[in-house]
Amino acid sequence: MKPGLIWTLVRTDFKARYHGTMGGFVWALLKPMSMFVVLMGVFSFLFAGNPLYKLNLIVGLFLWDFFAEGTKSGLTSLHARGYLLTKARVPSWILVVTSMSNAVITLAVFSLVIVVFLIAAGRAPSFVALLAFASYGLALMAIVAGFSLAASALFLRFRDLNQVWEVALQAGFFLAPIIYPLEILPERFHFYLYIWPPTPVIEFSRSVLVRGVLPTLRGHTYLAIDAGICLLVGIVIFRRLSPRAAEYV
Amino acid sequence: MTERQASAGRPIIEVEAVSKSFMIPSVQRTTVREHLLGIFERRGFQKLQVLDKVSFAVERGEALGIMGRNGTGKSTLLKILCGVYLPDEGRVTARAEITPVLELGVGWNPELDAVDNVMIVGSVMGLTLTEIRRGLDEILGFAELERFANLKLKHYSSGMSQRLGYAVAFKAMRDVLILDEIFAVGDVGFRARCETRYRELRAAGHTAIIVSHDPRVIATFCDRALLLDGGKIVQEGPANDIADRYVSTLTAQ
Repeated sequence: MKPGLIWTLVRTDFKARYHGTMGGFVWALLKPMSMFVVLMGVFSFLFAGNPLYKLNLIVGLFLWDFFAEGTKSGLTSLHARGYLLTKARVPSWILVVTSMSNAVITLAVFSLVIVVFLIAAGRAPSFVALLAFASYGLALMAIVAGFSLAASALFLRFRDLNQVWEVALQAGFFLAPIIYPLEILPERFHFYLYIWPPTPVIEFSRSVLVRGVLPTLRGHTYLAIDAGICLLVGIVIFRRLSPRAAEYV
Repeated sequence: MTERQASAGRPIIEVEAVSKSFMIPSVQRTTVREHLLGIFERRGFQKLQVLDKVSFAVERGEALGIMGRNGTGKSTLLKILCGVYLPDEGRVTARAEITPVLELGVGWNPELDAVDNVMIVGSVMGLTLTEIRRGLDEILGFAELERFANLKLKHYSSGMSQRLGYAVAFKAMRDVLILDEIFAVGDVGFRARCETRYRELRAAGHTAIIVSHDPRVIATFCDRALLLDGGKIVQEGPANDIADRYVSTLTAQ
C-alpha cells in the first residue's frame, strides 16, 4: 500500500482532466445533465402517463454515466500509466483502481444532485433508502473495478479493446432500462436484462429513491453475488496477466 | 532482529541462472480484429533469447558495472533486477530497496508539471509526500529547474527531464542505485554534480549497479564489472580489465 501514491494519482488525475479548476469539473456534470434535458424533452411525451419518468430518467442516466466513464478510463488505465509501469516496480492494481476516482467523484456529486432533485419533487428519501442507494453505488463500483482490472490488462494485448467496448457501451445503454421503463418489456425478458450489471443497480436505486420501495432479499442477494463475481473474475484475470504487463506497454 | 541484520554478510542482490526470452511473432497481432481474422492461420514465432542463465551477486557497498554492445541484454537485465520484468527462469533475490533510473528516465506524465511528476515518481520510489515536499527545492535545485517547476513535462527538453529524473532518484535513494547510462546526460556542470553526489552515496556505503557503453565511466565509477554478450556473461572481473576488454572486442571487429 502506498497512500502517498494513491492520493497523488487521484489528485493529478483530477487536475489533468479538469485543468485543476472547479469550472472544469462542471463539464463532467454537464454531459449527463444535457443528455437528461434532451431525453426528457423527447421521451416525457412518449411516457406522459408516467409521472415518475423524469426522476427515473435522471437516476438512470447518472448511474449509467458512472458505469460508462469508470469502465472506459479503467480499460485504458494501465496503458495510460505505462510510463510508470516500465520504469519502476509499481503495485499495478493501484494504477487501475485509482483510475476510477474521477468517476467516483462525479457520482458522489450526482448523488447529491439527485437527492436535492427528489426533495424538490417532494419525495425526500428516507435514511434507509439512502443507505440502500449507497450500497448499490458500492456494488456498481465493485463491478466497474472488476471490469477495469481484467480489461486494463487485456487492453495491453488487444489494442482495439477500447473500440470494442465503445460499441458494447452504445448497445448497453439501450439494453439497460435507462430511457424506457423496464415494465414496457414482457416479463420474460426481464431476467435477461438483469444479467447486464447496470440494470439491477439502476432498477434498485430507482426503487428505493423514487418509489420508496425496498427490493426483495432475493434481489439484493443477486446483486451482491453479481458484484462479487465481477470483482473476483477481474482480480483473477489481473493476477494472471499483470506480472508481465510491463512487457506489453 | 531486522531483515538487514539477518542478511548481513550475504550478497545484497543475488541473480541465479536468470533467463529471459521474448517471442517475436512473424505476424504481429495486437488487436481483437486481427486475432479474429487470423484464427485459422498458424503464425510462426521466433524466440529471441535475451538472457541465458545469467548468474552473479552484488555485495553490499559494491559498485558493479555492466558492459556490452547494443542488444546483449543489459537493459533487460536491469529491468529484471528492478522487478519490472519477470524472468522466465531463475531467480533474483534483492535484500534491499532498489532505486532505478532506467533508460535515461524515471517515467514522466507529459501532461503534468514537474512538481506533480516528482510527487508521483518520488512516491513510487518510496518517499512519503512530506519527504517529497520538504525535498522539492533540493530536487529542483539539483536539476537546475527551479524556474520550470510549474511547466508541463511535455514542454521539457529531453535533457531537462533526464536531469529531473536523476535529481529525484538521488533524493529517493534507499539502498541500491541502479543507473542505465549514467553521466550521459546534461552539460558538464550537471555531470560534475552527479558525479559528486554519486561519490557521496558510495562513501556513505550505498550499493550501485551501472550500465554503460563508456569504458571510462565503468573504470572510474565501478569496482567490478561484467561483460555481457549474446545474453551471457563472457567475463567478470575488476572494472578496469573489463573496460579494456570491451574496448578490444569493439576494435577487433
